[in-house]
Amino acid sequence: MSHSDIIPLHSTSQSDIDEIENLINASVQSGPATVLPARPPSPPRIPVSSSPFIPSNLQPPPLLPKPTPVAAAPPPPPPPRSSGNGQGIAAAGFGSPPNTLTEPVWDTVKRDLSRIVSNLKLVVFPNPYREDPGKALRDWDLWGPFFFIVFLGLTLSWSASVKKSEVFAVAFALLAAGAVILTLNVLLLGGHIIFFQSLSLLGYCLFPLDVGALICMLKDNVIVKVIVVCVTLAWSSWAAYPFMSTAVNPRRKALALYPVLLMYVSVGFLIIAID
Amino acid sequence: MDESYANLPTSHLLGSVPAVISEEKKTSSYEVPEANLQLFPPNNGVGGTPGYQTLGSSSEGVEQQSTNNWKGVFNISSYTQYFNVDTDDVLNRLRSSLYPINGDFFSKIEANPDLYGLIWIATTLVFVIASLGNCATYLMEKRSGTSSTSWSFDVSYLNLAASAIYGYAVVVPLGFYFLLQYLGSNASLVRFWCMWGYSLFIFILSSLLLVIPFEFIRWTIIIIAGAASASFVAMNLRSHIEGNDLMMVPVAAFVLQMGLALFIKMWFFA
Repeated sequence: MSHSDIIPLHSTSQSDIDEIENLINASVQSGPATVLPARPPSPPRIPVSSSPFIPSNLQPPPLLPKPTPVAAAPPPPPPPRSSGNGQGIAAAGFGSPPNTLTEPVWDTVKRDLSRIVSNLKLVVFPNPYREDPGKALRDWDLWGPFFFIVFLGLTLSWSASVKKSEVFAVAFALLAAGAVILTLNVLLLGGHIIFFQSLSLLGYCLFPLDVGALICMLKDNVIVKVIVVCVTLAWSSWAAYPFMSTAVNPRRKALALYPVLLMYVSVGFLIIAID
Repeated sequence: MDESYANLPTSHLLGSVPAVISEEKKTSSYEVPEANLQLFPPNNGVGGTPGYQTLGSSSEGVEQQSTNNWKGVFNISSYTQYFNVDTDDVLNRLRSSLYPINGDFFSKIEANPDLYGLIWIATTLVFVIASLGNCATYLMEKRSGTSSTSWSFDVSYLNLAASAIYGYAVVVPLGFYFLLQYLGSNASLVRFWCMWGYSLFIFILSSLLLVIPFEFIRWTIIIIAGAASASFVAMNLRSHIEGNDLMMVPVAAFVLQMGLALFIKMWFFA
């Protein structure tokens, strides 16, 4: 198949359709569950034509075995995936292939979910043998924080009896703007953090409060709510503490940690008070 | 064509980059005698032109400053000069804001005014009056015997508190700055913001006491707190513009601060 409307940017670049053909041929030749044949690393290319190529539709014909997707060895490209594949390829830059275009959607989703779960385990759960809590979350992503913030907003909105949409708006704005402002606060105090990594971490530390909000929504007793919120608040703060405190000069540690505490206490208060 | 791809900025895409920001290198390579704390927004060229080395001649610096004026506004490292405080400094300033008579706050912050106090004391105050205001109405309703199921958490308290406190804390010092500039006395906007920010601290403490559901106690507390905070502001202003015969300015500041105190009482702890 030759596509005269697509201009190859490099002599070794292929169009997506050709790549699929090669995969099919390779899998037919060498049978299922084998490593794909090596080919010269395709340099990052910008698709010139808006290709109507949708990964989920391009399963090979049913009589051929499905080409196995390559294990996700390189660091996964940043979200959002569907529109960012071009940039993802540009970022990876090295040869092992942009097969994220051809893999089924379930694999993509599964990879993202497993990354969220592994980040969660790293950040939130107690692990006294953590090698360096300050460098946690090398593999940051923003999907996890997004889910947690929206879930918390929805839970609070559901528990509220009046002004539901305003409650959601307040919770969402408080958490999202709060994460940004907390990160800026650390940067302004002369600390060293990566902006998005910090956003990601503060989002993951909301997980205990999510659990607490869910429990409070189901059980409407004030005493239980206070206890649950106190426990989950302590847990969230404990999770966020090592990251924030190592990011700044030790003489300014309290200045960096106080706003984190303030934000979590205000969210905790919202959880208790909304009924 | 593929040579250009080597220069794509990818450091923000990978997650495994060590946590060092290159902005710090820029600030260390730029030699400035001292940061210009009189002016706000910052218009030194820190971070504006990467790799720019000043030769120390002031005329060149002035030209460079005027062209780099807007580049400095959007770069975080040019604002770090306003947050150059340690925990001990902040605690000292908070403690000194509780003494309404001294009037020496400006001399304490002369060298190093900070906006950290303004931002976080204002934010804490917003949260405290919104949440404790809700608690207060709940307690009043429970005490007055009506069925407490009619009470529900009012989220609009947060909106109102945020608009009022942030608006007051930003606009009032700005207004006084322009007023004093117009009247000829020199003033520094950053120091005004710093002082007004720390003057709000006493309201946080008094809000904790305002939950008590007895009208007489509430009025007493708010009048005492308002008077303390207002006299703090007024005394400091008076000592700052010493020598000039402008008595109306501290009095106006006193009145405004009392107005804020009464507003807090009437809207949130009614």
